[in-house]
Amino acid sequence: MSKLSKQTLEYLAELARLELKEKKEEKLIKNLQEILAYFEELKEADTENVEPLAGGTVEKNIFRNDDETFVGRRTSPVFLRGQFPEEENGYLKIPPVFE
Amino acid sequence: MTDSKLRNTCESTNMDFLNNLTIKKFHEGLASKQFSAFEITKAFFDYIKKNDSQINAYLRLTKDLALSQANKIDVELAEGKDLKILAGAPLAIKDNILIEGEPATAASKILENYRASYDATVIKKLKEAGAIFLGKTNMDEFAMGSSTENSAFKITRNPIDLERVPGGSSGGSAAAVSADMALAALGSDTGGSIRQPAGFCGVIGLKPTYGAISRYGLIAMASSLDQVGPITKTVEDAAILFKEISGRDELDATSVNFQYNDDELLNPKLENIRKLRIGIPKEYFIEGLDKNVSEAIEETIKLLKSLKIEFKEISLPHTKYALSCYYIIMPAEVSANLARFDGIRYSRATSEKRKATTLKEIYFKTRGEGFGEEVKRRIILGTFVLSAGYYDAYYSKAQKVRKLIKEDFDRAFKEVDVILTPVSPTSAFKIGEKTDDPLQMYLSDIFTIPVNLAGLPAISIPTTNNQRLTTKDGRKLPVGFQLIGKPFREADVLGIGQYYEKLQAV
Repeated sequence: MSKLSKQTLEYLAELARLELKEKKEEKLIKNLQEILAYFEELKEADTENVEPLAGGTVEKNIFRNDDETFVGRRTSPVFLRGQFPEEENGYLKIPPVFE
Repeated sequence: MTDSKLRNTCESTNMDFLNNLTIKKFHEGLASKQFSAFEITKAFFDYIKKNDSQINAYLRLTKDLALSQANKIDVELAEGKDLKILAGAPLAIKDNILIEGEPATAASKILENYRASYDATVIKKLKEAGAIFLGKTNMDEFAMGSSTENSAFKITRNPIDLERVPGGSSGGSAAAVSADMALAALGSDTGGSIRQPAGFCGVIGLKPTYGAISRYGLIAMASSLDQVGPITKTVEDAAILFKEISGRDELDATSVNFQYNDDELLNPKLENIRKLRIGIPKEYFIEGLDKNVSEAIEETIKLLKSLKIEFKEISLPHTKYALSCYYIIMPAEVSANLARFDGIRYSRATSEKRKATTLKEIYFKTRGEGFGEEVKRRIILGTFVLSAGYYDAYYSKAQKVRKLIKEDFDRAFKEVDVILTPVSPTSAFKIGEKTDDPLQMYLSDIFTIPVNLAGLPAISIPTTNNQRLTTKDGRKLPVGFQLIGKPFREADVLGIGQYYEKLQAV
């Protein structure tokens, strides 16, 4: 397992779409390194031939029919539009996706 | 009740009156017309107004909604309609659970302007049951924390000792119930967020089996771990609320169609409780466990033995890896779940928004400004453990360890029916004590985390606490014990809890 450098942190922040404050980076790196050091204990756990567990109690797939039956709660379009950061002609307006 | 009689209730004996009120007693009082739902709801608001400025349990009150709900119940009652058990019951709701039309911020700046466009399934069920919502409670931002100090808006204080934290992340809900500012509350529990604050505030907290309750409309933190559950004054109330909100929901694919036996949940029989065997896992009685906690647990065991319940020492050998395992899996899921908060959907909150001209800039600035330190820390950590080159060493390894932890419980449950442990290694700590050291903060959930990793039901109940740590004004700091059950055996932990409560009443 490895240490976390300033370069790695900035790369991760880029992937996670997070703007970090320069002056807080040092403390964040220190915190993360301590946490990663704590994880070292997992090395000693013998997981040879152990299947990973993703969670859940009833480990089986739950299916539904692939049809148009609407099961969600209906919401007024006016209410939803009211929460758009910017709107034009009833559409959500955002800057271009491709620059 | 006449106006003047109510005024007496609300002014002179208000404190005692609301203090002693449980869901059960409220229901009886309402049914026998000792008071109206409107009067009690109003009394709660008066009481909150007087007391919450010190405690800060609520982020916002939903007074208009509550009073109109209460009125509706009173009208129905006057019309002679059947009174459901939760009809008119004033509840507090954690702010990561959606109520249609109301803000739901999850105590984050990024959701400051967001209002829920639909009811969470638990809210829909409670509305149908006639329950009343007093307001939304404070929490750690996006439920990430163990003290409610990570709220972007305010710090909630422990009602038993205002210098201490109420626990977290459902600290506002636990404090509201503990301070009699709600009859009961809903919280959510990803690694202990219902049980630990319940333990710190001296109330009951139930984290149900994974899949027992729909999470539709709960703002997701870590989807393989999150559960909604009740925080109440009595175990009986927890059983009542659990029964009302559980069940399969088409809108949450992880919810399970399990038929609970209502009578077993609500009216457990002593002869059945006596047949249960309780395991004591030696790995939970470790160095770092406060003496006052271990003593309180010993007393609890003694009391339960007086019910003629059999105890057995057991071993859960992988317990020590649970914290590391959890702090890899949870942030990984957090980093994925919180990607949706991008400044476009769920409204935009930052002051920088007008300066941002490209889509990418909106993402970076909104998330950079909108998320607090702990949330950012977990997003970065989650992104790291999932990234190429580290996935196997961290995420995949943690999932395997998770399997080992679950198998520990499976093995133990062949020998015993219920497992008893402390809820936390210490009682409530001081405000500010752990804010600079995330790892120390994480360690306060060490006894509650394994339960979420294995998807089990567990309840936190105050010990009798016959005097140990006291506050400056002589109040006792609560210590909780935890009962862990087999999957979908809430009835076992609630049943033992209800008889434990009866013992205390003697």
